[in-house]
Amino acid sequence: MRIPGRQAMAMRAVHKRYLREFFPAMFAYVVLLFLSVGWLKTLEGTPARAIVTLLPTLPVAFVIRAMVRVIRDQDEFERRIDLEAIAMAGGIGGFGFFTFGMLLHAHVVGAPPAEAVATWVLPVLMGLFGITKCAVRWHYRGDA
Amino acid sequence: MHNRVRELRTALGWSQADLGEKLDVSRQTVNAVETGKYDPSLPLAFKIARLFALPIESIFAPEE
Repeated sequence: MRIPGRQAMAMRAVHKRYLREFFPAMFAYVVLLFLSVGWLKTLEGTPARAIVTLLPTLPVAFVIRAMVRVIRDQDEFERRIDLEAIAMAGGIGGFGFFTFGMLLHAHVVGAPPAEAVATWVLPVLMGLFGITKCAVRWHYRGDA
Repeated sequence: MHNRVRELRTALGWSQADLGEKLDVSRQTVNAVETGKYDPSLPLAFKIARLFALPIESIFAPEE
């Protein structure tokens, strides 16, 4: 039996696969992050500390892989939206960090720890991608 | 580009989701094509023409 409107709301297979890949990877990231932070308190030796520190980055790589796969396999219009959003997010993010760097050079703003700046690059880009994707989708909205 | 996709779709009683399923694209993509927000690639335009059994130039025409 066909339910009106159900098909329109149904998530396409490519996006279901993305969620199946995204959520376990994010869950693994959170688990490994807590594990890593706890473990580092008792761990000594640079190689061992480096490996444990980098453990949570492994699932992040899988998140990026899931994003690449969904962009590659969705339809051409969805791909256009995502690629435009990524281009904007990269531009805005890069410009933001560049501007911040200039202000740091001029000692106009107080310098945060380098590790804080470095670890915020990816979350900032991801957050900007979410915002720019909404903007691009809004730009292409139609009078359905 | 002007197109007759909405006219042809509604003549057959299909929803945007129906057409999207037949073309293997999202409803959002069908809507963007119909409203002229997005011009489809040649492969998708040929797919649309084949589905409606019409020549591509009778569905899509450049804006004058």
